[in-house]
Amino acid sequence: MSSTREERVDNALQQLLERLVPSQLPDENEAHADQRWDEANELARDLLDREPEPGVADDVNQAADLIKRRLVRDGGGPERASAFGNLYSRLLSQPVLDKKWGILYFLWKLTEGEDVNGSAGARSNSMGNRARHSVDGIDLTGRQRDGKDEQESVYDEAFARNGLSRMQRVDEVSSPRQPPMRERLAPGRPKPSPQAQTIDTQPEQDTSSGDVAPSEAALLRDMPFTLQGLSSTNLHFTDHSSLKLPHMLPVPLISLLHSLAEPSLLYRSLSQFVESSDGGLVGQSLRSAIGLELRSYLGLVATLEGQIRRALAQLDDKLTRGGLGKAGVTLKRCVIWTGEATLGLRLMSMVVESAKSKKGGELISLVHNLATSHGDAFVYTFAERLLTNITRPFYNMLRAWVYDGELEDPYREFFVSENTNYEDSGATSVWESKYLLRDEMIPSIVTFDFAHRVYLIGKSLNFIRHACHDSAWVEAYSKEASRELVYGDTANLGQSIDEAYKTVMTRLVWLMETKFALAEHLAALKKYLLLGQGDFVALLMESLASNLDRPANSQHRHTLTAQLEHAIRNSNAQFDSADVLRRLDARMLELSHGEIGWDVFTLEYRMDSPLDVIVTPWASKQYLKIFNFLWRVKRVEFALSTTWRRVQTGSRGVLAKVSDKLGADWKSARLGLAGMVHLVDQLQYYILFEVIEASWSGLQKAIHNPASGTVTFDTLISAHTAYLRSITRKGLLGGAGGVDFTAQLHELLKLMLNYRDAVDGLYSFSVAENAKREEMSARIETRTRAGRWGLTEADEEDTASPGFGGTSKGGGRSKTGAGVTESPIPSLLSLGGGTGPDAERNMLEQLRQRLRSLEADFKARVNVLLGDLAYQPDVDMRFLGVVMNFNDVYNPTRRRRQKPESKEKADAGKA
Amino acid sequence: MPAADDSKRKAARETIVGLTEANSQNNPANLLQQDILHEISTLLNTNLDRQSLSYCVSLIENGVNPEALATVIKELRVQNTRYEAERGAAATEQ
Repeated sequence: MSSTREERVDNALQQLLERLVPSQLPDENEAHADQRWDEANELARDLLDREPEPGVADDVNQAADLIKRRLVRDGGGPERASAFGNLYSRLLSQPVLDKKWGILYFLWKLTEGEDVNGSAGARSNSMGNRARHSVDGIDLTGRQRDGKDEQESVYDEAFARNGLSRMQRVDEVSSPRQPPMRERLAPGRPKPSPQAQTIDTQPEQDTSSGDVAPSEAALLRDMPFTLQGLSSTNLHFTDHSSLKLPHMLPVPLISLLHSLAEPSLLYRSLSQFVESSDGGLVGQSLRSAIGLELRSYLGLVATLEGQIRRALAQLDDKLTRGGLGKAGVTLKRCVIWTGEATLGLRLMSMVVESAKSKKGGELISLVHNLATSHGDAFVYTFAERLLTNITRPFYNMLRAWVYDGELEDPYREFFVSENTNYEDSGATSVWESKYLLRDEMIPSIVTFDFAHRVYLIGKSLNFIRHACHDSAWVEAYSKEASRELVYGDTANLGQSIDEAYKTVMTRLVWLMETKFALAEHLAALKKYLLLGQGDFVALLMESLASNLDRPANSQHRHTLTAQLEHAIRNSNAQFDSADVLRRLDARMLELSHGEIGWDVFTLEYRMDSPLDVIVTPWASKQYLKIFNFLWRVKRVEFALSTTWRRVQTGSRGVLAKVSDKLGADWKSARLGLAGMVHLVDQLQYYILFEVIEASWSGLQKAIHNPASGTVTFDTLISAHTAYLRSITRKGLLGGAGGVDFTAQLHELLKLMLNYRDAVDGLYSFSVAENAKREEMSARIETRTRAGRWGLTEADEEDTASPGFGGTSKGGGRSKTGAGVTESPIPSLLSLGGGTGPDAERNMLEQLRQRLRSLEADFKARVNVLLGDLAYQPDVDMRFLGVVMNFNDVYNPTRRRRQKPESKEKADAGKA
Repeated sequence: MPAADDSKRKAARETIVGLTEANSQNNPANLLQQDILHEISTLLNTNLDRQSLSYCVSLIENGVNPEALATVIKELRVQNTRYEAERGAAATEQ
């Protein structure tokens, strides 16, 4: 989508440019037109790419207010403002546009430039020049303007002389910052624009009629005005950055006037800057700080003025130069007196220049860099003075954030920013993504660590207030702990932040523990979803077993829930708190075709906010996965144990009687069953005790860490995630190391179920066999009693087993037959079809084959599993392999998939 | 789960398509909107004609920073006047 968006932006931009830039003017060649087009394109692209984010927080009403104020200020009466108000309300009711704020702001910005016409034009002209060339290329600009003024012949000589003195000045001063600034000023200063020149020469020639060069006294008299940036009789300020010096002055005077003009021009531009209102809070405080400095400068000018006036009052016309030298105030002396102030002004304008594009933390870093990494002591003290002022809004924001959890940042200057793209999807997102830490806005007066802590504190406060609904505590805390933060007090600042951090973190953790009973819920999760509560699980399994054997689409939720309730009530689970029991639920997963109830059943534990920040949706899914696996294992165990129970009881009765025919089969079946039962038992033991309990104790340790300075909300979250991860990895559920244990285990479990079915079939077969024999013996009895032959040929044909041999089983057997009542799985018997002797023999053969193949398959798979287990990096998994194979009944094979030749080697070798 | 995702995707597609439709010039609601915006811009003396204004609006809707866009337009206009002045000066020189 973003690519199409960019295409759309491109498209629209091209068309807009087409309209704004005239295609080809009549007396212009094509190349020039193309060049202009390219320049315009580049400029547009550059500007658009440079600032992808708006500088002001978006607020439709604020933009509308700005526009209204502009309209009122422009004159034309209130009807324009009211018309706008009308249109604005209609606009708001339209649902189509998304970024109304953006459009209104854009229109306002557009008109802001158009209003202040002349000076803005000139200023944006110079700004445009500066924007296109780098600072080093300002010579180009200077030279361009030089070209324009070459037409004026009047000032050629003066320029030459000014040029000379300018070069001299530049060589004298060695500080690196100054040449670019001076070159910026110098071209501007003595070269007024052509029109203004013509205008100015007239009045000057009128006033100084014949008196070509003003005297030093006159200049001195004008000096205070000039120093304040005001035009005076002899020294006019023609525009914002140039001062026109009177011509025909001797060179030394000109050079003195140069140096005196510098502070005045600097002062002018600085006062303009102070008047302007742009940028954020820090910018405004910068303005006020500079304003203070300027005021002290004005104080200096005032004393200077006093001196000058006193000196001029003592002028004696008879002496040379009016005796100025003796009076003690000359231009040279003024230069020296304003020397230090000039340095300060230079510094300030440099700061202002580089601050034009920065805001907030960056600005503070800039000034702080000056303070710490500059060698000049003057610069250092000056920057310190500025810093106290500038950092005030920053500390205000810091204070609000740290003690209240509120972000008061209308100009986006703080290093914590609110994420505008965040959707309110519950407590998790409030914790994770509502607030972001912006690295570039971290001022250099604070370290990154500090900033990170501040971020956490504010985030936690916010979280407590919104997600935990504990605003009362937050209020109380902020009232008692909030204190003024100032610059320069780093030790105190660090301490207060540390305290705040500790308090807030402990409070949050305490909340989790008590108000939201985190530990209780985690324990409940372990008991129910991780099958920790054995009696409950056993009851549930028993009551659900018959139900779940049916196909999945015949399961009903209410039956499941009823069984769940029954199990809870009859086990120790009933003593859990009502809150916990409320969250426990039985559910059916999505079913696809052909599944039976066992595959779709699951328990569920509902977590709500704010606990779901710790037990994230991912975590809930993991729990469900583990539950699924454990439930399967338990099911197999349950099935195997019921079969084993039946076989055991039956072996005393029924099976003993058919042991001649089926004895060997039963022996191998019992062996197989025992092996499988052992395997499942070991697996269960391993998972429940080695894996889950061990990880659980790790989690408990992490939560109740006695060195509680480190237990924060984030550590809770990470501890819980690590807990789940270790369970899935060690519990053979994760795909750790590329070996997929889960699939192997599932196969094994399925095999075991099939085996159990086969054993059941064998059992029913034996029972049927037994029944047949009894029936036969009963018939013999009756026939014998009736005086006929016990057996006839018909009977011989009827008999199924070749080993029968006509022997009658002992007489006194009761006719009612041994307790053969249950035969729940008749399916396998009907396989052969018919009851002929061959069919029965076939069935037996089939059973035997089935049993044998299942056993062989099982053994093979277990070998592979053991081979894989033996090479795991984890000690416990290796232990599982060892314990499963404690009597070496299996031969673990190592599966090697990469090289076929070594595979044979592995097959030959035994682990 | 797949069913829910599907419907969500469909809803998302609909809103996107709906948005582009709404942004097209033929939508009557959009035209009314354009009128309002054009009047506002006239009140503010921005000297933007309807077409340019609609391009600007679509640019901002697509996420362009409005401050930068305003600067671009101001710069271009200044450039234009400068070129005019140059041409004028060149013409008078000749």
